[in-house]
Amino acid sequence: MNTCTRAPAFSRRTMLRSLAAATAVTAAGGTLAACSSGSGSGGSNQLRILVLKHPLTKPMAQMAWTKQLEDVAGIPIAWEEVSADWDQKKSTMLAAGDVPDLIVGTGAISDSDLATYGTLFEDLSDDLDAIPNVKEMLAAKPELTALATQSSGAIYAVPGYKRFWPPTVQHQYINRQWLDALGLEMPTTWDELYDVLVAFKEGDPTGTGAKVIPMDWSPVGTTGFGYFQSVLLLGSTGLPLSSGGGQGYFLQDGKVSNFLIDERYRDVMVFLSKCYAAGLISAEVLTQDYSAYQSAARGPGDGVATVGFTWGWTRSDRFGPEIYEQYEAMPVLAQKAGQTTPVAWSYDGLGENFPANQIVVSASTPNKEAALKVLNAFYDREMSLQVLFGDIGPNIEKVDESTYKVLPAEDGTDPSTWKWTSTLADNGPMWIRDDITVELPTDLQEAIDETVPLQPAIDNMDLEKDVYPTQFIKMTAEDISAMALVNTTMLNTTQTKFADWITNGGVEEQWDDYLATVKASGIEGNIAKMQQYYDDYMASKQ
Amino acid sequence: MSTAVVKRAGAPAGRSGHGLARHLKRYWQLWAMVLPATAFVLVFAYVPMYGIQLAFREFDFTAGLTGGRFVGLKYFQQFFDSPMFATLMRNTVLISITTLVLGFIAPIILALLINQLVRSRIKRWVQTITYLPHFISVVVIVGMLQVFLSPSDGLLTRLLASIGISGTNFLGDTGSFVPVYVLSDIWQHAGWNSIIYLAALAGVNTQLYEAARIDGANRWQLIRHVDIPALVPTMIILLILNMGNVLNTGFEKVFLMQNTLNLPISEVISTYTYKIGILSSQFSYSTAIGLFNTLINFTFLVLANRIAKRVSDTSLW
Amino acid sequence: MTTTSLSSGRSRRARRPHSRRRRWSSGERLFDLGVLLACALVVFATLYPIYFVLIASISDSGAVATGQVVLLPKRLSLFGYEQILGDARIWTGYRNTIVYTAVGTALNLAVTLPAAFALSRREFRPRRPLMLFFAFTMFFSGGLIPTYLLYKDLGLLDNWLVFILPSAVNVYNLIIARSFFENSLPEELYEAATLDGADYFRFFGTIALPLSKAIISVIGLYYLVQHWNDFFTGLIFVRDYAKQPLQIVLRDILLSNQAFSGGAGGGGGSGGAYAQRYADQIKYGVIVVSTLPVIVVYPFLQKYFEKGVLIGAVKG
Repeated sequence: MNTCTRAPAFSRRTMLRSLAAATAVTAAGGTLAACSSGSGSGGSNQLRILVLKHPLTKPMAQMAWTKQLEDVAGIPIAWEEVSADWDQKKSTMLAAGDVPDLIVGTGAISDSDLATYGTLFEDLSDDLDAIPNVKEMLAAKPELTALATQSSGAIYAVPGYKRFWPPTVQHQYINRQWLDALGLEMPTTWDELYDVLVAFKEGDPTGTGAKVIPMDWSPVGTTGFGYFQSVLLLGSTGLPLSSGGGQGYFLQDGKVSNFLIDERYRDVMVFLSKCYAAGLISAEVLTQDYSAYQSAARGPGDGVATVGFTWGWTRSDRFGPEIYEQYEAMPVLAQKAGQTTPVAWSYDGLGENFPANQIVVSASTPNKEAALKVLNAFYDREMSLQVLFGDIGPNIEKVDESTYKVLPAEDGTDPSTWKWTSTLADNGPMWIRDDITVELPTDLQEAIDETVPLQPAIDNMDLEKDVYPTQFIKMTAEDISAMALVNTTMLNTTQTKFADWITNGGVEEQWDDYLATVKASGIEGNIAKMQQYYDDYMASKQ
Repeated sequence: MSTAVVKRAGAPAGRSGHGLARHLKRYWQLWAMVLPATAFVLVFAYVPMYGIQLAFREFDFTAGLTGGRFVGLKYFQQFFDSPMFATLMRNTVLISITTLVLGFIAPIILALLINQLVRSRIKRWVQTITYLPHFISVVVIVGMLQVFLSPSDGLLTRLLASIGISGTNFLGDTGSFVPVYVLSDIWQHAGWNSIIYLAALAGVNTQLYEAARIDGANRWQLIRHVDIPALVPTMIILLILNMGNVLNTGFEKVFLMQNTLNLPISEVISTYTYKIGILSSQFSYSTAIGLFNTLINFTFLVLANRIAKRVSDTSLW
Repeated sequence: MTTTSLSSGRSRRARRPHSRRRRWSSGERLFDLGVLLACALVVFATLYPIYFVLIASISDSGAVATGQVVLLPKRLSLFGYEQILGDARIWTGYRNTIVYTAVGTALNLAVTLPAAFALSRREFRPRRPLMLFFAFTMFFSGGLIPTYLLYKDLGLLDNWLVFILPSAVNVYNLIIARSFFENSLPEELYEAATLDGADYFRFFGTIALPLSKAIISVIGLYYLVQHWNDFFTGLIFVRDYAKQPLQIVLRDILLSNQAFSGGAGGGGGSGGAYAQRYADQIKYGVIVVSTLPVIVVYPFLQKYFEKGVLIGAVKG
């Protein structure tokens, strides 16, 4: 046995030789491989555009507007279409420094990517004359200049303007039919809501004896909060949210803080835990996936509803075509009767109407001229509309030179599906001009209408001082990664506690220990950094 | 075994002075057979290995992979000092060891069971059916768990309630995360993993059964004294290989099964690395954690291999 | 049901002249019954979820997600399949995957089996360092970025060979094959062959391989399934959709549900009734579409497991 563990000298030499042989073999294999890859990298006779699109969006080549782009470019376009697992694909691609001529997709390249890999992309600040549409857009919408410009002054990614989106994409609904059936008033405070939910639970509001879910919200992630979740109740306490809540950071009166360590969040948790204990919240609220969450609200069929109070984008989207009319969009609830603190809501309009980083150009593209032509064409007036809603013809009717009408699907598909299967939609780069008239698809109109009850709360918010201008602020790569590390640790505690408190209670007793743990993760350092960035940003705006 | 010893003793050529030529003359055919595999592994596995040094450097995109500032063990230190470290280690080891032990035993039992089926037609059916779940993708498995274990109307929840196990949200309870994870894993892969054992059982000399029969052995004794010994070499090799996975958990499944309720038990090294690595571009840190993971795994593999060599003369190298 | 199959099994056995089980006692029968019951349990536990996948693929997603689909499909619709099969990318994906799998598995076997044989020869002393050389790579890897750069230099990016060459050897399979050769090929066979003047090549080709059909089919199956299920290669190293394997296409469809949930606000509530009603249908349909071919392959390989018995015969 010993003889075997001692590797004899000859075998080592032999191995070396075999290494050499192996290298030779692969070298041959490599050239072979290189020869057989026809359309590989470096082909300058075509423009390679990577596009991040929705999985159900039809192939790029089937959209008529892509032909128009090709005509503008003057050379053929090879579309590289990505839908799933973009984060993984991207992080490898960028770190290896290998990017196609253009990357298209809202937020496909994030601010944090630009902070680290910015040099991979063409600095467009000195190319603006070659992209007149963009130049014009930046002049027409001054916000966009801040959005596009890095702290160094470079413009690596072009943002867009979507114009039509309401200030919030999150709406609050209650089942009006149930209220009427039980002879109840629309609740205006948390206590009234609690009573209504109890009545829903116990009063058989459907009249069928079917089991009901008085309250439900969308699945909360382990890395932060998102849209349509119960943290929206923070609005009742006057705490202004933006874009769903994310990792808890918010701005109020020009001061950055994090609601995860705010007493008002504690109040919300106390209320939610009380509701859960009374069986008013879906038993699955913390474990269901998005699909189950959506399905529950659509009821078992036959026009019977299941959910009493919840949040969503539009009624028809949330509850389905059969029963959405039972629901009514609600204003923001007050935390207490007669409260003097003005209520707030979540302001999402900045991110929706001013989407950042929609398109980037590779710094090393062999076809810079064609790339810039294509980039410019995306921001053309009619092209922008087509990118958002689909081709003129099947998707959009051109009424006259400045009037357009978004058409419904011929086969009765709902408007949002029609849009997303037909075109890049919100993923595409665009500048929707303020001087054109567009008759909007029904879902967008519905969302705008359902924002009306929330408008007073939104009006209570000062856009400058109550909405953290996340996308306008460009942080350094070091800060981004240091902050991300803190957030990962912090959210591990807070998200666990969020679930624990709702199901088991104990918020008030555990609050102080919780605060200490969360603070130990370094959250206050993050708040200070964000404050610094905010102050600098505000100063630069003067 | 005995033949091997004879061979070794009978090949003194290797140790003598001009051994290389003789070695090559004698074994060039074996070299030719092993060389292509060696070449592929050398190129596709060893060449990229310089990337490991990223764990000791600051990832600096503009300076290239090898150009970042050398920071020594900074990122290892950062991991050990992280408030998450203890939790991550505990969860990872708990999940992987449970999977390793139960997931190792289940296919053996299944193979022995299937092998006992007398009719070959039934045998084939059972084999084919148990092998099917292996092909269901993780996304769908987790989706099915969601449906079956839903606390209000899940089929399994109702089934378990009818036998007295109720009141637990199997998708959220920290106590049920590991059982659900491991059992669904066994359900999915036991059939597939039993294939190798079935192939080994197929190789058993039928005369051994005859002989045992004549000695009056019953079915149970046949399993114990003929079937199981036939599986031992495969079992040992697979066990050694599994030991090299003590710190590995399936990333995708854990990640998809994670929710805010079970996070205290479901945050493992791979999900944490994903969160900091892919989502926030901390390549150096995630490489360091990965390397730490690897070192532990490799140590276990080497230990397992050494023990196996001592007690059974079966080993990887 | 169990009793009938049991008794028919018995009569069949009784007809076999050289059955290995000649004596019958009530204990034996009980044992057989137990085995059958246990198998029935295993089969049921496995089959039901598979059946569920099938009925879920033709039921309304809402009914599936809320646990209404248990024994029969509900609100039947073939929309999911129309969507999946109507997607032109699926067919390209199928073609690609079949090519990658066939060529890939052939290369895998051509490289792995000889190497495994060589490493199984106890008198071949470099085998220990070589095994270590191989096993090391199961644990240590340079990570994605250097791998990406290497493939780039070799021209493998966006090249179909990327599905074949880098995965030519799977060390795990190599080790299993080696251990099989080591334990199942009787040393006497080799000695006898050497006396007849056979060298390693001949011994391997004319004796070892024919006697190892069981392990060849197992390893072949492992490789085949590995290629069939591989989406990661396509995900990271291929951007040209025309070269993507089936799994990438399916993953795109599969994850559309998640994409909607994540992007609900981003797209202005892109959820859409559509995604909701059919998301699960598509999800389960995808499993059926992608698994069927692999399932069909299995019974063909299965019969070789029984051929392995030959080894014993020769040895005896």
